[in-house]
Amino acid sequence: MKTALKTLFHFIHGNPEGKREAVDKFLNKSEDFRLLLSANGKALELMAEMTDAARSGQPSGITRVRAYSVMVASSVRQMIERLCRMAPGKYDGLREAFNEIVRNMDQAFSGPAKGPLGPPVLRMRDVRAIDLPETGSKVAMLGEIRAELGAIVPRGFAITASAFRLFMQTTGLDDEINRLIQIHDGTTLEELSDLAASIRQAIDLAPMPRELEEAVREQCARLGDIRFAVRSSALGEDSEQTGFAGQFVSKLGVKPPQVTDAYRAVIASMYSATAITYVRNRGLREDEMVMAVGCMEMVDAVAGGVIYTRPPVGGGLDKVIINAVPGLPCAVVDGSSLADSWTVDRETGKIVTRDIAEKEIRFVLTSGGQVRKEKLYGGRELAPAISDHDAERLAALALRIEAHFGHPQDIEWARDREGLLVILQCRPLTICEEPAELPATDEESRSLAILSGCIPASPGAAAGYVVKVETDEDMFRFPDGAVLLARNARPQLSALLPRAAALVAEFGSSVGHLANVAREYGIPALIGAPGAVERLSGVGVITVNGNNGTIYLGRRKRMIEREARPTARMRTTDVGLALERVLTFITPLHLTDPESPDFRPDGCRSMHDITRFCHEKAVSEMFTQDERPVAGARRLTGQQAMQYWLVDIGGGTSGTDQAGGESRRNITIGDVRSSPMRALWYGMMAVPWEGPPAPTMDGFMSVMTSAAQNPALAAGVRNDMGERNYFIVGGHYCNLQSRFGFHFCTIEGFAGDDPNVNYALFQFKGGGASMDRRQMRSRLVAEVLEKRGFIVEIRDDALFARLEGVSRQAVEQAMAMLGYLLMHTRQIDMSMAAPAMVVHYRDKFEADIEELLEGLPGELREAGCTA
Amino acid sequence: MKKIRLLLVDDETDFLNAYARRFARRNVETTLAASGQEAIDQVRENTFDVVVLDVMMPEMNGLETLRRLKAIEPDLPIIILTGHADSRVLIEGMDMGAFDFLLKPVGTDELYFKVLDAIRARHRGQP
Repeated sequence: MKTALKTLFHFIHGNPEGKREAVDKFLNKSEDFRLLLSANGKALELMAEMTDAARSGQPSGITRVRAYSVMVASSVRQMIERLCRMAPGKYDGLREAFNEIVRNMDQAFSGPAKGPLGPPVLRMRDVRAIDLPETGSKVAMLGEIRAELGAIVPRGFAITASAFRLFMQTTGLDDEINRLIQIHDGTTLEELSDLAASIRQAIDLAPMPRELEEAVREQCARLGDIRFAVRSSALGEDSEQTGFAGQFVSKLGVKPPQVTDAYRAVIASMYSATAITYVRNRGLREDEMVMAVGCMEMVDAVAGGVIYTRPPVGGGLDKVIINAVPGLPCAVVDGSSLADSWTVDRETGKIVTRDIAEKEIRFVLTSGGQVRKEKLYGGRELAPAISDHDAERLAALALRIEAHFGHPQDIEWARDREGLLVILQCRPLTICEEPAELPATDEESRSLAILSGCIPASPGAAAGYVVKVETDEDMFRFPDGAVLLARNARPQLSALLPRAAALVAEFGSSVGHLANVAREYGIPALIGAPGAVERLSGVGVITVNGNNGTIYLGRRKRMIEREARPTARMRTTDVGLALERVLTFITPLHLTDPESPDFRPDGCRSMHDITRFCHEKAVSEMFTQDERPVAGARRLTGQQAMQYWLVDIGGGTSGTDQAGGESRRNITIGDVRSSPMRALWYGMMAVPWEGPPAPTMDGFMSVMTSAAQNPALAAGVRNDMGERNYFIVGGHYCNLQSRFGFHFCTIEGFAGDDPNVNYALFQFKGGGASMDRRQMRSRLVAEVLEKRGFIVEIRDDALFARLEGVSRQAVEQAMAMLGYLLMHTRQIDMSMAAPAMVVHYRDKFEADIEELLEGLPGELREAGCTA
Repeated sequence: MKKIRLLLVDDETDFLNAYARRFARRNVETTLAASGQEAIDQVRENTFDVVVLDVMMPEMNGLETLRRLKAIEPDLPIIILTGHADSRVLIEGMDMGAFDFLLKPVGTDELYFKVLDAIRARHRGQP
């Protein structure tokens, strides 16, 4: 491009120095103006997207919100730089206004202040509920019930929140993880899985701080050669609002030397595709997630399970629910097996119901500390996992825990070989409101029920196409709005729940992790639906009723409407609130009146204000009449005078300054020697404008003359604001800038003998029609240009197109085509309502362009422009 | 045909190679530098039309590299391309004369256009 300009000015022979400087200044300014407009378009587009995100309540990670804010700031800063170059020294105050707004935006993102680091580990016996900010809820609650209620909990220790911060900060992992989230911009499950793998690798490669490693080693040595369950105890996990049930991994059977490896794995699980999906959908901030970890002795359980101190759906019922399986309790929480179930009266403490399931498998701890799955047979599958007496003991203990915390509890427990009941974890139970009294199902619905008697795990009714998910591949392909059908209620499936209409799982229980998450999301779910996979696969659309445990064929519209439930709004979440806060420094527009005394740099209080200020001032700088290189401008005349003026920067016309009188002020197209200008003009004139609106005069020149004179016909050359349209031309160069109102068009071309320096540019923006029609027009023009080798970028209704490094003839053809498009596409947005019109115009443009290009060589030869 | 000479500075070699491959089809000759020091050596020894510079790099970060490159060749347009949405880097980088500040991920088209903008602005006598 450097050569291009050298070549350009090579043609300015005999040009007065002052004129050359004026031209130079004008071209610099027009380049800055172009860049400013481009940055303005981008800033406004980003602001619109942020506003939409805030309004829609659609889930969005804090990393994305922050990235958008910085991108807005970057575009606005670019506008400032360009404006400051257009008018050096006049607008420098904008930078300080900008910095102040950016400081405010940063403030809007900052979370609560973090205190100094505490100890990296805490012994279980020293932990109480008040240690929650260091140990996370899971470990803090266990420490609390051990100390206050005398409950038996596993021996062990916590790796604290301070340890996590130490690990993140000393290794730079916090920055690196934010960076990875930022650059993996995807939202699909597959993209999130890639992101999770990258983060996992970064965590694995980061060196463990020595202080932390030694503290863990010391704790392990104290406890002897035991096997650990290394469990997540993230801050915020197990809270009433966001349970994170099953989102993070637990490593079981961990030997002492492997504890730090397991610690890394648990931290990495905070960034799994499942967990990130959950975090974003709950509006939590991924940059504020802190993982504390509990390292607890594995219990060699003969039975285990989950207690709900109230029914999770319809919590008003006065029952404690106990689920139990033989072996380790993991089969209950991960949904891999059916479980025995007891209900115990909260008042009397006596068993009300007992339901013994056919349990196919159990998990046991091997002597080597490994967890092994075993098949149950020989009648053991039908044996109760615990005695009625144990069920009543468990209910009593659970109610004491509930009373201590003052909230219904979800408790995981195990019974060891000595008959001790050990509490593995307890957390607040998410309870769904009592479903409204079941309405009488209409006759038609009853006849369409295809599966009933399923266990309601989350209330409500929803319909969708039923899609079976068995493999990871199935998960990646799961379509939005479908009903998720699975054999087992695996917690990993929770990543799909935000997109699912409803959930049906053949195995698992309403007390498992997946059921918890379904309730949090408010998605109807049936878990424990025998025969569901076989019966429902391939049946198409079904309606799942999470209140009555029945599945119907087709969409039961009235049932869905009747049982709809309100969903949580994003604006009340951490991310939603951060977005709202930061937007107050981005989108409000205070500078509306350019005539107001406040319309100045220090009056800018938002990014939007700066864009408005820069745009207004840039237009003024660009189109201030006396700053244009108009000293030598001559008016183009045909049969009548037109609103086009021409500045020759050397070699662009055959006319000379020696000519006197009228000819010094006027020039005809016949005098123009600049081949790109000739080609551009030819393109502008070659095909009469057919409307709408219809041409008012017949004949080629008359139409074009009207176009040049009548704003209604030719908005691109309208001069109702006293503006003139200037061609700046050299022997091989042409630049046309048109302004009409706030709409702009630029065409520029250089057509010399060296293809390396040749180019054609086209920028077009604005119009009178609605935005969607203008966008449709931009896409149509882009399509036409791309077919002819242009690289095109569209932002909103603005179009930027470039063709570079091509022959002189190719530039001339491009200029002719741009001239044609300039004249024929300005007003088609008015009539671009239907796709048929798009096709019509595309066909017409391509045919016209084909034809006009055939005539181009002759036109240029006539003008003496060709070699 | 004369090519655009682009210096791409990033410590992530996968990233460098991916962009170099995509730009090769667009008349851009890309030279890769995996560190700030390598970038400085390249600019001392060769001529470039534009530099695309990462920020978080070991040893010498992008801002320090930017400062030194500007000291060697004040007119050389430098586009910051970073994975860190950090407004301080935006302000400092622009104050130090960066042509623009982009966040990863950025599409090949968007970066290519930005490179062309930077070159055009440079030859109109601006950094």
